[in-house]
Amino acid sequence: MIRVEGLRKSFGTRGGVIRAVDDVSFTAADGSITGLLGPNGAGKTTTLRMLYTLMQPDAGRVLVDGLDAAQAPAQVRARLGVLPDARGIYKRLTARENIAYFGALHGLPPARIDAKTAELCDALGMDDFIDRRAEGFSQGQRTKTAIARALIHDPRNVLLDEPTNGLDVMTTRALRQFLRGLKDAGRCVLLSSHILQEVAHLCDRVVIIASGRVVADGTPGEIRTATGCANLEDAFVKVIGSDEGLLA
Amino acid sequence: MRTLGVVLRKELLDAFRDRRMVLVAFLLMPLAVPLVLAGASVLGERRQVQQLEATLELPVIGAEQAPNLVAWLAGQNVRVVPGPPDPDAEVRAQRREIVVRLDDAFADDWRAGRPARLELIFDSSRPLASGATIARVRSLLAGYSETVGTLRLVARGIHPSVANPLQVGTRDVATPQSRFDLSQQLLPYLLLLLAFIGGMQVAIDATAGERERQSLEPLLATPASRESIISAKILATAVFALLSLTITLLAYWGVFALVPGGALDASFALGPVALLQLFVVILPIVLLGATVLTALAAFARSYREAQGYLPMLVFLPMIPTLVLMVAPVKTQLWMLAVPFLGQNQLILRVLRAEEIRAAEWLVSLGAAMLLVAAAWWLAARLYHRESLTSST
Repeated sequence: MIRVEGLRKSFGTRGGVIRAVDDVSFTAADGSITGLLGPNGAGKTTTLRMLYTLMQPDAGRVLVDGLDAAQAPAQVRARLGVLPDARGIYKRLTARENIAYFGALHGLPPARIDAKTAELCDALGMDDFIDRRAEGFSQGQRTKTAIARALIHDPRNVLLDEPTNGLDVMTTRALRQFLRGLKDAGRCVLLSSHILQEVAHLCDRVVIIASGRVVADGTPGEIRTATGCANLEDAFVKVIGSDEGLLA
Repeated sequence: MRTLGVVLRKELLDAFRDRRMVLVAFLLMPLAVPLVLAGASVLGERRQVQQLEATLELPVIGAEQAPNLVAWLAGQNVRVVPGPPDPDAEVRAQRREIVVRLDDAFADDWRAGRPARLELIFDSSRPLASGATIARVRSLLAGYSETVGTLRLVARGIHPSVANPLQVGTRDVATPQSRFDLSQQLLPYLLLLLAFIGGMQVAIDATAGERERQSLEPLLATPASRESIISAKILATAVFALLSLTITLLAYWGVFALVPGGALDASFALGPVALLQLFVVILPIVLLGATVLTALAAFARSYREAQGYLPMLVFLPMIPTLVLMVAPVKTQLWMLAVPFLGQNQLILRVLRAEEIRAAEWLVSLGAAMLLVAAAWWLAARLYHRESLTSST
């Protein structure tokens, strides 16, 4: 389970201070898929980066399975499987070696890594490229490798930043299926997206972020009811106050 | 510690799979360095032999005034040719190395027993090109002068030793190892340079490259601490540099063993102890190079920026060599604490088969390791910056 309380983060740039995240709180429960929805630049990626301790929040705190990320960052990271915005896999290593490297970094014994790799390879459909070097992988193959790498240690909590970005229809469908499998296995799945359909289809709970703030939080049904809109898209436009960024 | 091993193994695997990197570090560098040095050595040797032993063609202005001198010179393997009308211009234009001009009154002075004047025209700003020829002409003329002087004294019934109140003998204490040619002057610099930046490809690829390819963020999202990640990257860089250096040294010895002529291999009779000493002297520089390179690559925002710093680093190990060439100094203990300068001195002493005291080892190694620790601390701090991954 992931709890976020009053998270804030500003960046100093040449043009002045930018408040990327300004008081964000939400809870992502075990056995469910929570979606962070928001236009580009709303603060989704920054929020996730604070969750996996890449950045220190200016204020607020992050609790992963009850552990404070500021006090026990390494333990928090051990409980997270992270698919960052930047997939970045090692091109001179095969998909299998990429995955095994992260397994070893999580301290898994080789036998565990082998077994878990076989399982993930099966679930994500990676058989045809698992032993190829990542140089020249398609976007979908890269994302699958990165997801397998993020899940090699069987984490209780899974963070995915725009997981279906750049994937074709079939791969997207397969990925959604896979995420539902994680949810059924009792995992806490938190994903960010700017694609409404995806969130509406997949998520049990939606947290809408705009300009660094949470503007709506609930099940898709609750959000529709609260805004008096018939579909999530209208509701989304209503809560963020504009349709800016939706087309991006 | 376990993480360190995991990251180290991966970085080395990654580096060794980069064919271009391996080719440059383990084939090109090891071949280029000894070939250049051997080439310089052989050319220098051949030139020296030519200048000292080949028939010298010597332009002399007014040679008809001194037929005896011309005849004597011919016996010394010198062929006298008529001098050019404008000797200064000829020498300046490098068409002649040296021209001798006899004074107009040479013949008269000679016959009267007065010092007969002659003039050597040469360009002293080209010591490498014509220094040997100039010295040869000078010593021939001095020899002739002495011979004739002796004969004149004897003709007057005076013992020649009257004119030689001093008899100067020489004894050269140089050991075979301490007699350096150009290639061995360059050797310490090349060793230090290779040690210092031999791992540059790995350092840049593992840090700036990893950042640019965006694989750093997922790596930092694992429980691995940034300290162990950076340490492993430094170690991978050092291992790579050390391998490259070892292969280069082996190639160096190999090339010099194959080069004909005994003059070259005098200093290469280095025993295993000397080799071990060289290794101990150079090892801190390998670590220092790996750490500084990694810190720089962590500081740079991109691969290209990191590569932009390299010329600066190439220059660093050069400084003490240049200083020593311009102003040779006697080694003092504090100098051994100065990076590169200290190592340079110690390498020379190992090559010269001179003894190195324990205190000297301690100062050199201690100072270098302190620097390594400082650079490591800096690299680790740079790796903790939040902007490390948000450059994209």
